[in-house]
Amino acid sequence: MREVYVAGIGITSFSRLEFPLSEIAAYPVMMAMKDSGLKDIEHLYVANMGGGRVNHQTGLASAVADTLSLTPSGAELIENGPASGGSAVKQGFMAVASGMHNVVAVTGAERMREVNNLEATDLVATLTHPIAEYIYGVTLPSLAGMFTRLYMDRYGVTDRHLAMVAVKNQRHALRNEFAHIQQEITVEGILDSPEAMTNNPYVAAPLRFFDCCPVSDGGAAVILTSREVAEATGRPLVRLSGVGQASDTHCVHEREDPTELLAVRRAAAGAMEMAGVEPSDVDVAELHDAFTILEIVESEEAGFFPKGEGHLALERGDTELGGRLPINVSGGLKGRGHPVGATGIAQVYEIAHQLRGEAGDRQVEGARVGFTCNFGGFGNNVVCMVLAGE
Amino acid sequence: MKREIYAYRCRRCGELHYPYRMVCRKCRENDHNEFDPEPLPREGILVTHTDLYALPAVFEIRKLGLGIVELSNGVRITGQLRVEEPKIGMKVRGEVEVVRSEMYSDYYGMVFYEA
Repeated sequence: MREVYVAGIGITSFSRLEFPLSEIAAYPVMMAMKDSGLKDIEHLYVANMGGGRVNHQTGLASAVADTLSLTPSGAELIENGPASGGSAVKQGFMAVASGMHNVVAVTGAERMREVNNLEATDLVATLTHPIAEYIYGVTLPSLAGMFTRLYMDRYGVTDRHLAMVAVKNQRHALRNEFAHIQQEITVEGILDSPEAMTNNPYVAAPLRFFDCCPVSDGGAAVILTSREVAEATGRPLVRLSGVGQASDTHCVHEREDPTELLAVRRAAAGAMEMAGVEPSDVDVAELHDAFTILEIVESEEAGFFPKGEGHLALERGDTELGGRLPINVSGGLKGRGHPVGATGIAQVYEIAHQLRGEAGDRQVEGARVGFTCNFGGFGNNVVCMVLAGE
Repeated sequence: MKREIYAYRCRRCGELHYPYRMVCRKCRENDHNEFDPEPLPREGILVTHTDLYALPAVFEIRKLGLGIVELSNGVRITGQLRVEEPKIGMKVRGEVEVVRSEMYSDYYGMVFYEA
């Protein structure tokens, strides 16, 4: 396999965007082309989950290719639930690694705020098992709520630990101009104050409002190239050095131990093995905190902390900007937002930004190795990546 | 007619699956349709649960109880939960009832009550 580099990166604001979905997907590619100085894109990968259902637009990749005047380059759409972004980056990686292409663009976009929150939640819920989960009213928050209850019971995680994730990631998001949530919160304010039951009600007990990521519009893109092309751009070199992916049972109830996220463990191990790194080598990580519990558990399954001790690392401040292993300095899904198809690519954007040393006042000092975890379904399809600065 | 929900037993190795899958998860040796359906038992233990307040639009209620139950034959199932104060490990009993009503169709599934 050839070495693959992240030569260009681009992103939109994550919030409510009043632009067509094709433009939300195209804009970050334009930014990444400016960033790298590369104009000749040989192939385009577009990640999106809900275009056909929510925005009444299918065949999105062709629309994006034409919007960017990239024709006659090849283009295709990748839908893999909330892991669509990670999957699209993986496809781009394989295209360059195999030698089939030298320069590919990978973009992800979602425009979910075109519909109300219930419809957006229902869109994501359609990835659950149609007859064994979905018909009962199962949504992703409800699966996360049941998972959290079990994790609290077994490992002593409390609602204060969950709130600490929300507080940390929203504080990080204040340093990210593209982040959806620009609001500082405190554990006291969302758990102890007289207003807590109104400002932070239960969504899927024991998960509350501030334990869940927002529904966002947004797009993010990366340009992946061979080493020769990346060197010629003159930009700092960031190598996409490891990619891992794993699936798990469709129904959460079929897992032998329902407190384990085996697909995260396997995808993380696969990515690290390919990159030749250990969890202790990682300097900065972007994890898929669609729900606060997920950041804690993914940090364990990726091997950063022992099983059942992720919340203790959080207590110690290890995962804070300035801590031993800063997690979600971009704000994560919780603070930056979660436009489903864009998320996996926004994670790679953030790590590349960090490894270039260009992340400004959220820069993790001396970051050389970064890790991403893009979590699809309720852990039934996970894509992890390792990136290395050179 | 008594309504049932079925698990599927592999004819090659005897592994029981819920819901249906085409290839046995344990032996991966079975041919197409080499499963025998078996009605799920109704007694079980509550593994975990939630009260969902952000409900899909077709549910015109304020909150919905959901749970995962380990049935007496070891098969786990996700279902609705109608228990006042649910606790992990409590005994529950399932009934097959309407769990979702849309304009032209009713969907049946397992609803659990305190045993």
